Amino acid sequence: MLNVYLFQVLNGLGLGMIYFLISVGLTIIFGLLNFVNFAHGAFFLLGSYLCYTVVTLTGNFWLSLFVAPLGVALLAWITEQVLIKRAYHLPHTFQILITLGMALIIREASIMIWGPIGKSVPTPAGLDGVFRLGSFAYPEYRLFMIVFAAVIGLLLWFLLERTRFGALVRAGSEDTETVSLLGTNIFKLFSLTFALGVGLAGVAGVLSAPIRGAHPFLGEEVLGIAFVVVVIGGMGSFTGALVGGLLVGLVQSLMTTIWPQGASLMIYGAMAAVIMLRPYGLFGRS
Amino acid sequence: MDRRTFLKASLAASSSLLAAPALVRNAWAADAVSLYGVKSMSGAFASYGKFANMGSELAIKQYGNLLGAPVRYTTIDTEGNAGKAVRKVQEAIQQDNARLFQGCTLSSSALAVGKEVAKVNGVFMTPAGADELTGVECNRSTFRWSAATYGAINQTVRPLIELLPKAKRWYTITPQYVFGDALLSNAQAIFDEKGIEHVGNSYHSLQEQEFSGYLTNAMAAQPDVLLILNFGGQSTSTLRQAVNFGLHKQMTILVAWSAGLDQFQTLGSDVIEGVYLGAQYWHQVDTPMNKELVKAVKDAYGITPNYPLAADYIMTKVMLDAVKTSGGVSEKTISALEGLTYEGPTGTETIRKGDHQVLKSYYLLKGKAASAMKDADDLAEIISSGRSFPSEDAVGCKMG
Repeated sequence: MLNVYLFQVLNGLGLGMIYFLISVGLTIIFGLLNFVNFAHGAFFLLGSYLCYTVVTLTGNFWLSLFVAPLGVALLAWITEQVLIKRAYHLPHTFQILITLGMALIIREASIMIWGPIGKSVPTPAGLDGVFRLGSFAYPEYRLFMIVFAAVIGLLLWFLLERTRFGALVRAGSEDTETVSLLGTNIFKLFSLTFALGVGLAGVAGVLSAPIRGAHPFLGEEVLGIAFVVVVIGGMGSFTGALVGGLLVGLVQSLMTTIWPQGASLMIYGAMAAVIMLRPYGLFGRS
Repeated sequence: MDRRTFLKASLAASSSLLAAPALVRNAWAADAVSLYGVKSMSGAFASYGKFANMGSELAIKQYGNLLGAPVRYTTIDTEGNAGKAVRKVQEAIQQDNARLFQGCTLSSSALAVGKEVAKVNGVFMTPAGADELTGVECNRSTFRWSAATYGAINQTVRPLIELLPKAKRWYTITPQYVFGDALLSNAQAIFDEKGIEHVGNSYHSLQEQEFSGYLTNAMAAQPDVLLILNFGGQSTSTLRQAVNFGLHKQMTILVAWSAGLDQFQTLGSDVIEGVYLGAQYWHQVDTPMNKELVKAVKDAYGITPNYPLAADYIMTKVMLDAVKTSGGVSEKTISALEGLTYEGPTGTETIRKGDHQVLKSYYLLKGKAASAMKDADDLAEIISSGRSFPSEDAVGCKMG
């Protein structure tokens, strides 16, 4: 029995890294731009569908991992130029309404383009085996996802904390006018940050495609988890997204053995507990 | 014209005008039979509703004139929501005098709609799965085409036990609500009867989409067979993740209640290869009517019929036949359906009078390897089929 719990911990950590990848783009956009993006799940969905299309046309998953997030980021940049940048100064309720509308448009457009039936993406060759540990098995593809998410996390940390781009974006989010007066085109930086955050949703969508497939309502499912992770970790906190993701993954995985029927519920239970103890999340600021 | 004559003429004219809409309505009602397709055209079950609607529309189109006029078909979009389904059906009953309804994917919608239609002695035929529809919640107006949980389990678990006599340890993954519990209790009854060891069960919520934890529980129990008792998107996710975890190489996997072709198309042959799948309908069933249906659907839509399309096609056709027999939509239409035997896609089908359950076959399929497929839709082969229904006394149906 102990083996089951040990394995659930391992599985939970893996799941947590996937949740981190899903939610990190959302938290970056909120933290740096103070913008609530309810279309994050829809962009994730788009990443999955673009992955499906690229894999169907070329048979190359790795190409889709490059092309699909770029496509999603490009669409995000265009959307930001046309619509989103006009909403930065508006209250969050307006931002939610705008991005919810965008999510619905993306979902319905996906149904029109790819049809109502879900699509499958095969696990890339070379990663379709399982790693065995006694009577347990763990998919090699999920192991790859964990490593990939960790690398993405490190690169993001470096970009935001150790580069001039990151310093300018962080400064701009604190005081837009001062950074602008110093000669930086702050709105261009914001556009790139929005495209980066949404592009990360595209990356997560591509990586999730062999596990979850692509279907029109995937966006809503993912958005729910992403918000739980961000609320637990603290809105806008990069570290919070990592810790929140791992916590949600561990709770969900362990509860499937302890109280299976309540596993999903306990994710929200964990969120409620964190909010009661720390209303702004584990790493959030008031 | 004097004042008295003018008043009389005005009164007569106004009476005629007031009566006119009723006359027009009655004349219209006599001309065209109206059938309402209650389908989830949007929302989470839109993929099902779209095909179901295609089935009804094809049946209507093929029927041509019924009692001297083309059938009027109206689609009611339930949006996959029982509350909205009931409200829209109530509106159709009150505003359009609607009496003939067909559809409802979700059991919750079907149960609620069936009650509304029964209040006005209308006719409602559904493919929904809940046992209650033809059990304790049955009524005079509601008919059900699909085999319920008892049939699904008996036509999948029993034959698989016979196919794999050495597979004595079974593990189940079950959604925790009425439908899942019904499947589970039916499976447990067979386990007890056949001496199968039920080595564990993982319940999960209806919102669950991540099944790696439950699959880990299954691995820990080391079963010979993994029996998946959820359906729709959840069974798709469970099966895909089970294959990701390599469980299909460690144990036999059975999905007792699959959605059929559209689900197999979603998963692809690399996922369903070697997996056993229970299904209400399969396009390769060798019956005369099914061959006609496959051809008609290919001609009309250029696709192979799947379960929602076939189910709603045959239900619509059978209802129109009953209206024809009864000479219009009335109480007699219900009587015309009761005990009716007809040629359906699964062979000769009969509507049992006592509970309004259609007695039809259920199929055990096995996913094919890509190399064995003759065409893109040849995703599975039929392993066995048959009919299993509890007796009328056992279902607890008392017609009001």
